[in-house]
Amino acid sequence: MKLLVPKTLVAKHSFFEKQVLENFVVSDQVRRLLPDAGLVRGRIVRCCGDAAASLALSLCARASQQGSWLGVVGVSHLGISCAVEHGVALERMVFVHPPESSRDWSTTVAAVIDGFDLLIVAVPESLSVSDARRVQARLQSRRSVMIIVDTTTLSQPNFLNTTHPFHADVVLDTTTKSWSGINNGAGYLQQRQVAIKVSGRRVARAQEHLVTCNY
Amino acid sequence: MLRCLDWSAVVAAKTSNSPCVVVHGQRVVSRSVAAMSYGVQVGMRRRHAQGLCPDLEIATHQPDRDRRAFNTVVRTVNELVPLIEVSEPGVIVFATRGPSRYFGGDEPMADKIVQALHSSIVADSQFGIGIADSRLAAHIAAHISAQSTAKNTAKAKTPFIVKPDQTKVWLAQQSVRVLSEFANISSETVSLLERLGLNTLQDVCKLGESVLAGRFGELGVELHRLARGDEQHPLAAVAPPPEHLCSRTFEEPITDQQTLLNNVQIMAEEFSDYFVKHGAICVRLILKFESETGAHSERLWYRPQGLTARAIAESAKWQIESWSHKSALVRVQLIADEVRTDTARQLKLWGGVTQIDETATRAIGRLTELLGSTAVQLVKWQGGRDLQDNFQLVSASHFQSRHNELNASVVKPKWRGSLPTPSPSVVYSEPLLVQVVDKDKNLLRVSARHELSAEPAQIIISRQNYKIISWAGPWPIEEKWWDTARSRRLVRLQVVIEKFLSDDSRQVQALLVALEHGEWSIAAIYG
Repeated sequence: MKLLVPKTLVAKHSFFEKQVLENFVVSDQVRRLLPDAGLVRGRIVRCCGDAAASLALSLCARASQQGSWLGVVGVSHLGISCAVEHGVALERMVFVHPPESSRDWSTTVAAVIDGFDLLIVAVPESLSVSDARRVQARLQSRRSVMIIVDTTTLSQPNFLNTTHPFHADVVLDTTTKSWSGINNGAGYLQQRQVAIKVSGRRVARAQEHLVTCNY
Repeated sequence: MLRCLDWSAVVAAKTSNSPCVVVHGQRVVSRSVAAMSYGVQVGMRRRHAQGLCPDLEIATHQPDRDRRAFNTVVRTVNELVPLIEVSEPGVIVFATRGPSRYFGGDEPMADKIVQALHSSIVADSQFGIGIADSRLAAHIAAHISAQSTAKNTAKAKTPFIVKPDQTKVWLAQQSVRVLSEFANISSETVSLLERLGLNTLQDVCKLGESVLAGRFGELGVELHRLARGDEQHPLAAVAPPPEHLCSRTFEEPITDQQTLLNNVQIMAEEFSDYFVKHGAICVRLILKFESETGAHSERLWYRPQGLTARAIAESAKWQIESWSHKSALVRVQLIADEVRTDTARQLKLWGGVTQIDETATRAIGRLTELLGSTAVQLVKWQGGRDLQDNFQLVSASHFQSRHNELNASVVKPKWRGSLPTPSPSVVYSEPLLVQVVDKDKNLLRVSARHELSAEPAQIIISRQNYKIISWAGPWPIEEKWWDTARSRRLVRLQVVIEKFLSDDSRQVQALLVALEHGEWSIAAIYG
């Protein structure tokens, strides 16, 4: 009897191999924002401005669906319903609450980098530059992607006076211009227009995009 | 069984007489005796509890702190009784047959324990001792004993003893509510039983096992077992794991705690894998450490949902921390004491586990070790109208993500009354108080019919005024209005505000504001 090897299995395997080596796939909407048309392994993307959290989730969503694990470090206020709507796979999402001090924080983040492909982190203000550099080196050797969410809430934004400890490869600065679907007592929030400024070490020329998104 | 009521509040309170509550996720999980006299109940919202008792001391939920404090009690009891089981801080379980015979009966033994604990921290808390034939009955007995001592504090603590062979009869009179309080049966199931007219355990027992199994499935069998005074899960006969899996002798004595725990972790993984292969799970385990000098520490561990490798490792950590003879260790032993068939889990046909999943699982284990089990959490859907209720974060150590039961990929139905999508990306667990005012600077109110008193015009966030350029809503929530302690009534509004940044550029921001107990707060931001 001839042994049948299912073709799909072979195809799947080679597909998997390719996925490991290449960048993480991102959705079409955010692809044009990124310089390499995807999340390149070992890099840091920093999202700031008022739409930072949802932008970070939309960056992770596609890779998370394809089997990568997502570690959320210190961003305890991240809306889980929102993550579901973006398409993040909840069974591969882990919330980690790290200690505040610089050294402990970097140890924790290093442990998360060891296990997970994608990280969404909030950087504490106490983090020293040397600890940040250690984390970044670990990230590059482990080939994970770290997305920093600057917790610009209603109060003052972080790192206004001091320089940010991480040198981000791509910085996405968001400003919401308008919301539609809502009208003095009627309707509900549906769509918005966001201006996204793209800059950073890996971006040759800073650009500004105007994006309409339904989140 | 020895049971301390509201252990974590006892630990958290600075003095024994001050009212104190322990709060987790805005709900009271434990309260001290003094707080109870003000009418504070477990499950109440924080603000409600503060309303009842203004000078309430509020502590955060820290299982590690409770655990450490309980170690002294465990040690004291361990001097009298050799093999004890600590399933959660505040509860000690042990088999009484041996110790009672030694001390000359159940009552002298209980008195001995009360005397021994007289000088420790528990002396001024409510604790009770109950003796019965099944775990559930002993739990109830201990609870009754604790409450009776609370009522007449002047009197000595009296144990509550159910005579041998009387357990079944005594248990039959208990109301079905005890199942949710002491046996991990969900309160929905218990409320369903009540609505079916089954008010006592006797009624449940009379119905017959097959009828219950027909209606509730696996759960029905469990209910019947509990009601008739058996243990919750039937025992499974699995050959004990081979010697090399359950015992390890170290050539070089280990002094470092972390090294030891790593060793236990590896052992625990092999140990639980053995049972998984045989379709069973270990629910009760004896963990034994032996030191160079010949001293040994031996303790029982029980988890009704089964001890996973991670849970075993955590137990080992707890046991080592509480052991005072910390010298070099030469031997670790894991002895499976109670094994049941594993019914709840089914692996995927093709395994469904990739390399990535395995590294992630290992990383979760490592993080749990590093930060404690409460700092690493997975997401579980539970449903609800409010954003915080919709999903729950559960400690990762309770789950073996290798076969992740959370299975969140299934599309969950949306509850009626929940907010329209898209959902906000930033949700505050601690709402930020603000003021929403109309154009005449009057605070906005909502009538009983959920009508706004005027159009919202401005929002004041920490003394800064922002103009509201558009709004929608309100979306009301009225939950559990039949229950005064747990009822909630709030309305939510979506508002879009206008902000000017330092460089004069204009920015809009969408917020979700909520009105509860007459106070406006920001519940979430569409960030």
